[in-house]
Order: sequence, then C-alpha cells, then structure tokens
Amino acid sequence: MYDVAIIGAGVVGCAIARELSRYRLRTVLVEAAAEVGFGVSKSNSGIIHAGHQSDPRTLKGSFDVRGNALFDQHSAELGFAFRRSGALVVARTAEELPQLEALRRQGEAKGVPGLDPWDAARLRREEPNLSPQLAGALYSPSAGVINPYEYCFALARNAVTNGVTLTLDAPVTRITQAPDGLVLHTPREPIAARFVLNCAGLHGDTVAGMVGLRDFTIRPRKGEEYLLDKRLEGLVRHVIYPLPREHTKGILIIPTYDGTLMVGPTAEDQDDREDVSTTAAGAEQVFSAIRELCPAITPRDTIAEFAGLRPVASTGDFIIGPTAVRGFINVAGIQSPGLTAAPAIAEHVCALLRYEGLALVPDEAFDPYVAPPTRFATLPFAQQQRLVRSDPAFGRVVCRCELVTEGEVREAIAAGARTLDGIKFRTRAAMGRCQGGYCLDRCMHLLADRLAQPVTSITKRGGDTWMVLPFDGPQHPAATEEGGT
Amino acid sequence: MGAEPQGGQCLRCPIGCALELAHQGDTLQEVSREHCDRETKYVRPAVSEPGRGLTTTVPITGGRWPRLPVKVTAPVPRSRVMEAARIIHGLRVTAPVRLGDVLLEGLLGDPALRVVATRSMARADETTA
Amino acid sequence: MGRMRGDYDVVVVGGGPGGMAAALGARESGAERVLIVDREPEPGGFLVQCIHAGFGLHHFGEELTGPEYAERFLEQVLDQDIDLLPDSYVAGLAVDTDRHKQVRVLSGTHGAQAVTARSVVLATGCRDRTRAGIRIPGERPAGVYTAGLAQKLINQWGYLPGRRVVILGSGDVGLMMARRLMLEGSEVLGVFELLPYSNGLGRNIVECLEDFGIPLHLSTTVTHVHGHERVERVTVAPVDEHMQPIPGRGWDIPCDTLVVSIGLIPETELYQRLAIGIDPNTSGPIVSSTLETSMPGVFACGNSLHVHDLVDYVTAESLDAGRYAGEWARGIRRPGDNVRLVPGDNVRYCLPHTLSPGREHTVYLRVKAPRGPCRIVVGGRLEQALPFVVPAEMIMLRLRPELLEGLQGDTLRIDVLDAPHDSRETPHGR
Repeated sequence: MYDVAIIGAGVVGCAIARELSRYRLRTVLVEAAAEVGFGVSKSNSGIIHAGHQSDPRTLKGSFDVRGNALFDQHSAELGFAFRRSGALVVARTAEELPQLEALRRQGEAKGVPGLDPWDAARLRREEPNLSPQLAGALYSPSAGVINPYEYCFALARNAVTNGVTLTLDAPVTRITQAPDGLVLHTPREPIAARFVLNCAGLHGDTVAGMVGLRDFTIRPRKGEEYLLDKRLEGLVRHVIYPLPREHTKGILIIPTYDGTLMVGPTAEDQDDREDVSTTAAGAEQVFSAIRELCPAITPRDTIAEFAGLRPVASTGDFIIGPTAVRGFINVAGIQSPGLTAAPAIAEHVCALLRYEGLALVPDEAFDPYVAPPTRFATLPFAQQQRLVRSDPAFGRVVCRCELVTEGEVREAIAAGARTLDGIKFRTRAAMGRCQGGYCLDRCMHLLADRLAQPVTSITKRGGDTWMVLPFDGPQHPAATEEGGT
Repeated sequence: MGAEPQGGQCLRCPIGCALELAHQGDTLQEVSREHCDRETKYVRPAVSEPGRGLTTTVPITGGRWPRLPVKVTAPVPRSRVMEAARIIHGLRVTAPVRLGDVLLEGLLGDPALRVVATRSMARADETTA
Repeated sequence: MGRMRGDYDVVVVGGGPGGMAAALGARESGAERVLIVDREPEPGGFLVQCIHAGFGLHHFGEELTGPEYAERFLEQVLDQDIDLLPDSYVAGLAVDTDRHKQVRVLSGTHGAQAVTARSVVLATGCRDRTRAGIRIPGERPAGVYTAGLAQKLINQWGYLPGRRVVILGSGDVGLMMARRLMLEGSEVLGVFELLPYSNGLGRNIVECLEDFGIPLHLSTTVTHVHGHERVERVTVAPVDEHMQPIPGRGWDIPCDTLVVSIGLIPETELYQRLAIGIDPNTSGPIVSSTLETSMPGVFACGNSLHVHDLVDYVTAESLDAGRYAGEWARGIRRPGDNVRLVPGDNVRYCLPHTLSPGREHTVYLRVKAPRGPCRIVVGGRLEQALPFVVPAEMIMLRLRPELLEGLQGDTLRIDVLDAPHDSRETPHGR
C-alpha cells in the first residue's frame, strides 16, 4: 500500500509528487497518457504570472505570488529554462487607465514586487513595435516564461530519482474502498493508497465521481494559440496582456523562452473533453485582437498552431481540499494561474496531508537537483567541440531548424521520452519552421533503436497515434510483430 | 503494321496538342504537329494500348537503405502496371548493387522489359558507394 | 569521400544536385581544393528519394530517374578529386578577413571543426511548405505528412505513411506520390487542388491519376483535419474565385492520412542566421550577376536561391555559381553590377537581381499567370516568343551583352506580354 497516490501527472501532480519526495513516503504518480504532462499542461502558454491579476479572495489568487517567487529556486534545482521577461498589461484607451490602477493596487496588496505604471511615452520607448495608440501600461518585472512541459518532465524526473513510482498508460477507471485507504483500478495492476490526490485535470469531476463525490463539474474551455516564425523574434520583449475580461486574461503576445513569439489564447467553452482542434474562427479572433496591440503581426508568419483545454470548475475557482471521503483530496479545476501556482499548491497540499494525519519525515537522501539537458545550439563553439569529442553523437545534427543533435535526442530518450512528442518537447526537434519534415524519420529510427521496438510501433504521443505501416502488412501496426527494416 | 496515320495526344506539356501519328515498323512517328517542335515520347495514341514507364523500389538486404530504386527498361502496358509492380516487389536483392544491374529479365514474359537498379548501393558496412 | 582538410579554396554547403554542380564549376574555374558538406549519409539531396524518371532531358539528353542523375554527378565529383563530407552540417560561418571564411562544420566522424575557405557556395536546397504554413485548422493527429517526408518514408525506408490517403496539391510532386502510394498498396481517395487547374504535367495527370481511377478535385481545398489520435477524416470544400472555402459546401472524407504537397520554400535557415539579404518574392537570397549574395564571397544557387522545376536548370545555375566562387577564391573580382533587373508585366520574379554591362547573362524568371501565345520583352526589345507560359515552368533566358548597351537609366525590365492576334512571330525553338 502506498502512502499517497496522485492521479494525474500534469504540472500540479508532478509538483506535488516532487514535493512529497522530500519525505520518507511511498508515493505513486499515476498517469493515463504515454508520458507526463501530455494532457492539459503541455498546451499551457507557459507564463509565470506576477499575480496582480487574480483576486486574493479566491484560491486562484492565493498561490500565484508565492508560486512565482519559487520559480527561481525550482528552475535552478530542476534545470529547466525560466526567464523573468517581465509583463505589461496595456490600456488600449485612456478610459481603461483606471482599471490598470486598480490592478496595481490589487497587486501591491498581494505583495507583487516592482509594479510600475508606464505612460504612453515610456511604453513606446520600451516597446516600439506595439501600437502607438496604446494609452499606457502596468509593468510587472516578476512575470516570466517557461516551457511548461520542460517543467513537468523535470519535476517528474526528480520525483522518480527520489523514490516516487511513475506509472504511465494507466487511466484510472474505478476507485474502491480498502480497509485503510482506497484502491485505484487501471488497465494495469490495482494501486492501493492511504491518500489519493485528484489532480486529474479535465477529468477531475469524473475521478471525484468514482468515490461518489458529485459536488462540482469540470467544463473544458478551449484556448487556441499560434506560433510565429522566428523572423519576428525580438518584436516584443515582455509578455503583453490586454486588460482582462471576465473569464479570460485575454489574447496575449508571448515571447516564449526560446524567442519564438506566440499569440493567443482564445477562450471558448465546450463539452468535448478531447477536441483540441484549432479553427478558422479562432484564428480570426486571435489575429484581429493582436492587430490592435501590434500591427506588425499578421497570420502570414504562423508556423504552428495548437489548442489546449482549461479544466474550468463549476465553482469558478480551484477546488483544493479534503472531502467527505476519507483520504480523498481534490486538487481540481486548476486553470490559470495554475502553472504559476503549482509550486505553492504543492507546498499547500503537503501541509494538508500532514494535517490529515500523514507523517512527513524528511528524507536526508533527498536530492533536489536535476542536471539540465544539453542545449547544443546555445553552447559556445569551443564547448560544442569538447562535447562532440566526448560523444560523437553530438556531432550529428538531427533537427536542422533548431540545431538539435543526436546526442540530445538520446539524452531525451534516456530521460524518459518514449514518443515523438516526448522527444520534441524535451529537445525542440520538430518545433521549427519545417515542423519535422526533415527530422521525423530520424527521430523515429532513433527511438525504435533505443527502445528496441519496430519503427511501425513508434507513436506520435502514445495511444493510437501510430506513424507508419509496413508494406504489404496487415492494417494496424499493433497487429504485426515484424519490424520494417 | 501499315503506315496509316492515326490520332494521338501529345502529353509533353499542358497544351496537349493533337498529333497525327504513323507506325514506322515498331515505333510511332509524328507526321504533323501544331505548336512547337519539341520532341516528345509522351504520346497518348488514340488506339492501341499505351505503355507506362514504371519505377518503384525493391527490398534490399545489407545495404545502407532497406529499399533499392529500380526501373523497367521499356514501357509496361498500362493494363499490366499493377501486375508488374507486384512481381517486382517480390524480388529480393542483396547489397552491393551497381547502377544498371539487371535484377530481372523478361518481366511479363517480354524480353524488352528488364528491371534494373537505378543506383549503386554499397553494403552498409562499407564507407563509399 | 569522408575526408576534410583544414583549408579550402571553396566550401560548398549542400551535396544535392546544386552543391555537386557548384563544386564541379569551382574546379572548372581553377579552384584546387573544394569541399562539399552534406547533412545526409550520402550526397544527392532530394534526387535520392525521387525515384521516378523525368530528370536530365536537357543536361544529358536522356531521361533519367533522380538517383541516376545524382549518381552521374557523384561520379564526376569523385573523379574531380572534390572532398565530400557526408553526415555533416554547417552550423555557422564567420568572415574574419575579406578573403577568409570560417566555416563551422559539425560531423559525427570529424567532430566540430572550423574549416577556412576563400569562398563559399550555399546550396542548401528547399523544404516543403507545411500544413501549418497554410493554416489548415483542426486537430493535430498523427498522419499528416508533407509530400517530401512521405516520399522518403516510402522510397528509402520502405514504410507506408498510411493506408487510406487524401492528397492536397496536384503539382507533379503530389501526382507522383499518388502513384507511389497506389503501387505500394495504399488507397488514394482523391487529390485536391486549390487552383482551378493543376500545375502538373498532362502526362502525370494521365499516368498518376487517370490510370488509377483517382479523382482530381480542382478549386477544392482541405478545410479541417479531424482525429484525436490518428487522422480519422478530413473536411474538403470548394473554393470561390478568391480561393476562399464556400461555406456550407464542405464534405468529409474518412481517411487515415493527409499528404500535403503544397509547395516548396527555399531552405534559408543558414542564410538568415548570417543575416544575408532575402528577396520576399522568391523567399531566397538577393544575388548579383555572379550569384554572389550580400555577403562577399558567399554565393547561392539551386533551390535555396529560388525553387526550380527542372533539376537541369539547377545544374546549369549551380555550375555558374561554382565557377564564380572558384574565380573569387583565386582573387578574381568581377566589376560590381550597376544595372537593376526588374520584373515587369506578368513576371513574378526574375533573377539575378542585378547585372553588369559587357557580359552575357543567364536570367531566370517565372510568370504570375498562365497565358497563351506571348512574347518576352527585355528592355523594350523582343527577345523570345513562346506558345504559352505557366507559373509552374521557369523560363531561362540568355541575355546578350548588347541588351545592356545604351540603356536609359540603370534598370532593365523584363515583361511577358500577350502576342498580338496576327502575330507572325516564329515559334520558340530550342
């Protein structure tokens, strides 16, 4: 029997798992998909918000300032990229300026550091490519950007290094009672645990329903995002928000960590928990909103588009806490600013568990560090030379758009990548202009080789996302034993 | 085969001029043309079965790639293209192979139809082609 | 093959038909030490996967398959003692003096090394436009492939990209893919083309579609991709005269694969990293009459300069670029250009961007719209009559030096005009 089972290895589940791994506990992280972070978290915008935009009277507004502050330490320990790019909430007209002032006051009351109102002149000086019609902005230096999947991978890796069990391809289908805990039933072995944390994202209500709790529902809210050609790198330096509206922070301009510009997200409620399609209407919405903020951005420069679903709880807020079912704790409805809040939510949930009777004895062997993955493209030439001398695999380029080497792909596979998206999100291969047109066949073969599997069994992201079929073989790759070569 | 003219369509370019053709022995010769003097082998005759150039790949073991590109040295009758492809795909070749190597003689029973390699392929453990 | 010295006269980036011809051109003009760096395990570029015939009619007077054409050039390259480094990648290039370039090469066999060169030819080819590049909405399932990747998977690796395939794009590449897929046992459900006509050769429509009973839908495009995990179906719809999907007229096609064959774009990643000036018309570099880019001693040719339709023209152009690069390496400098070549009526672009008096020039151009009998007019004077022009067929012109004499001003304009009704122009001959 485990002490804690965490359902869902998104950023919240992974952050909690890592936090729990500081203690001498038996913890298991259970994930339905083929890799961690493959649900809601990978489609997240990656913004670490400063915190002045959320109401401190809500749970949403209670964890973000603390979470934001923890990102320096987390990124240094876990080796993922984090940059405090700063952010600007812009006022499109003079009539919007009082709202900026209200945000500033809210932020200061919450302890958001460095908030600074900028007038139109200052805004034009600092961000000359934004529309000259903007009336002013509220600058928050503590806002930052990460690649959210990198954070998930690093958290999970550290958790596993420190003794957490990670179970993938294991959707929970039923939960039953046990003498002193609960039993999770999956297509694999059943999992028994004293405490179960419901971090199931889009399926938070379904999972709660498995123990008879029906006091909230989750309704997905889709957000479409559009990635722009590197030609626009440097066009804006800060994350740009318009003033928030009721159910969305608005359509933003996001300079991602790697420099690629991203615009979005939209905010459309829907019932389907799986439909992550982008739409012509969504694109129209995004680009017409962005045109007002930054006329230099047009749809022509799109190199990729994707959509994610936010798990919006019917209560309108995060749902974090113990329930009528002993041992079952909800960490549900985590939408924005969930990524920012994750480190603080993890601390909070640990405190909750202690309060609920779980003894948290520090593990002296806990190692907080994860070595950052090699980023060959960013190394100075002399270092590249040394690296290639030590391992010729770093001299073989796999992705030429992002300059990713075979050595990095192998590292990613060693770190847990089992799918093409797993390689993509860990190395950036296939994320550039050609979107994998050049490197996908190489990645497929590298994966097949390292995992000792036939190429026909390699998937894009697990499940039924098969890539190729053998010649003259039966229709589905799972039905054949033969490799292609 | 007589020398009566017959109709055909030139497939060399998008205009698709009408041509008059006559048999001279085994071959069809153009006797008139409309728009240009570009020579063409790509003629769709009004009658008689047209031929198709067939290129495809065959499995090869021990080479640097698992497939070897090949071609058939003369046009294959259109109605027998899939049949020819099936036969060719059944061939088994081992590296090394030189460009032009004949892999099959007498495809479809026609001595003019040979299947040849369209590239050299070294054994995978060799360093040059 | 596989040898790399520390210092070269000319380094050629890319070992496809462009790079190989450029290296040969450099040797021809006296460069002694020439290196080709290519990222694939063997040279030939796209030709290696283009197993169909149709190459070499102009250059060799024979119709060859892609691999045959590549191998002919490889033989010449090895014969000419040109160093060839496969499986290697040029990650960067710095200029330390006017003559010396530091070319950073990443190689599994030779490590990361800086090689010096007097001049460099960039022959990095082209890449496929992606689905995202034309912004087809929908989900992102497995099973959406560019034609180039699908072709490589089938022809080199021996895998089928899928069993029930929809193809978007009816240019020759898309048509060839349709036939390959059928020959290897997939089912092609239809080829869809945004334009009201296909850019492919008539012969290919017959041999790739009609022969196999594959329907061709013109003025139709893919408007949505469906499938949570693998492609399940695509929505297609007819488009109006502005090439916009007509609402309410779409229909769904169940399938498991979408192959997008929607155009090629010059691969200018390295050019852009070097801040070389790019022409938005061609998406390739701006070049002088010696095919030199805005970076002195760095030349461009082939599909990375502008996307070609005939590999024979890639060869011709690249031989020229190599010759000029070879001259440059030996210290020979041509006078700077002082004439701008500008596209006129019905000309989408023309290359090179500038010219010099007193020399013959080879000029390449593409028209904007298909027209019937027309005449190419250069600097106001008739140069050539053509029975028809289409955007998909690049036109190559040799400009005699006399055309630049007595120019009014510093601009030479190329127009492609409709031939008058009663024109007695002689048909274009070759």
